[in-house]
Amino acid sequence: MRLLALYAIATLIALALETTIPYWLPIGMLAPNLVLILAVDLGMKHHGALGAMMAFAMGYAIDSFSGTHLGLNAFMLTLIYLIAYALSRYLISTSTAIGVVVVFIGAILTGLANSIGSAGLDVGPGTAGLMPRLALQGAISALFTPLVFAIMGWGKRMVGLRTRSVRE
Amino acid sequence: MRGTFLWRHRVVLTSGFLLLLALHLLSAGVTPGARAEKPSLALMWMLKPVQTVEANIADDTTGFLHDYFDLVNVRQENVELREQVATLEGQRTRLAELEVENRHLSDLLELRDALATRAVAARVIGADTTELSRTLILSEGSRGGLRRDLPVISTAGVVGKLIAVAPNASRVLLINDHNSGLDAFDQRSRARGIVAGLFNGALTMKYVDRTEDVKPGDAVVTSGMDGIFPRGLLVGQVTRVSQEGPGLFLNVDIQPAANFQKLEQVLILTQQPTEIAPNPKG
Repeated sequence: MRLLALYAIATLIALALETTIPYWLPIGMLAPNLVLILAVDLGMKHHGALGAMMAFAMGYAIDSFSGTHLGLNAFMLTLIYLIAYALSRYLISTSTAIGVVVVFIGAILTGLANSIGSAGLDVGPGTAGLMPRLALQGAISALFTPLVFAIMGWGKRMVGLRTRSVRE
Repeated sequence: MRGTFLWRHRVVLTSGFLLLLALHLLSAGVTPGARAEKPSLALMWMLKPVQTVEANIADDTTGFLHDYFDLVNVRQENVELREQVATLEGQRTRLAELEVENRHLSDLLELRDALATRAVAARVIGADTTELSRTLILSEGSRGGLRRDLPVISTAGVVGKLIAVAPNASRVLLINDHNSGLDAFDQRSRARGIVAGLFNGALTMKYVDRTEDVKPGDAVVTSGMDGIFPRGLLVGQVTRVSQEGPGLFLNVDIQPAANFQKLEQVLILTQQPTEIAPNPKG
């Protein structure tokens, strides 16, 4: 329950930041995908059915504020949760470095999925330079990963949760 | 329970089920009032107060920050002068900001009167979480009489249409989103086409017959044929016309009349006017 409350609050804060700051500041693709970082944190450190459901809910929450396809980000965040879970389980590690790599790849995959969701496979004039932009956003998100992981670790300690991998 | 197949593979099984559920949501699409949309609207309702507070804070700082980003190369040269001006004219800036806001609101009121229709004014409080989709979050919702598919305009021109409406907030799909499309025509030549967004946020007019006389500088206005936007609203201005390849249609690039990055207040038309006499101010 504490885990659920902590991630719910963190997701709401992340969403509030993601929906307002990029609009008021001209930073465009430089905005990190904070909710994705939370899903990776969850996947690496909380191995249970609840974690998967929370990742799905986080994706659904993004869908509420993004794009026109309800379910797209829910799918992607569940998938990225699963990737993070599998990596941390088989590498027997919850290292931040692995998290950084998963966030980088996850941000690019999510961006690609959103692009396909938005434009289909139509390669029009507007798609030029998409990959570098996605890679840039992936890199920015990856840069923020250690900070978000640290904040979540602090939050978990504050509410009395274990900060390493938890198997419910 | 522990040690059984289901327990050992619970993460993969749960994730698999949720992935299928997400695919189902995606493939089914969401119709207005569908159960799948309700939690999403509840989230919009929950986040609105936070977004409003953030928007208020941003309002106070956004002018400075936009200036910073726009003039980053010359900022060093002007920094001392700016500090002086900021100190001496702090109060005047605040008053000027109020004046601008008042002007926006009175422009909206004038526009509403000109449209001779019922309309609700709303404030922009947020944007899409990704750069790849183009939606804005507005401060009014179903309590203010809004519903899905209502047209949203600004004093400059057409903005978009509502795609999700929570009790106290709503989301508007901008006309430059790739999923957006509206029926419009060239005001001078009367050539009709569909104005759609491109992936990079630019606007184009599709399906304009290559025999049509469309020229750069022409105003593009809504035709009213799509059943959403009333006839005669300014969409934008033609910037480039080309005929590439053996296709049947012209490539028409349009500069939108509204500046989506700087929108602060918008008007949502809650009743379809018969026809707009004057174009919105552009």
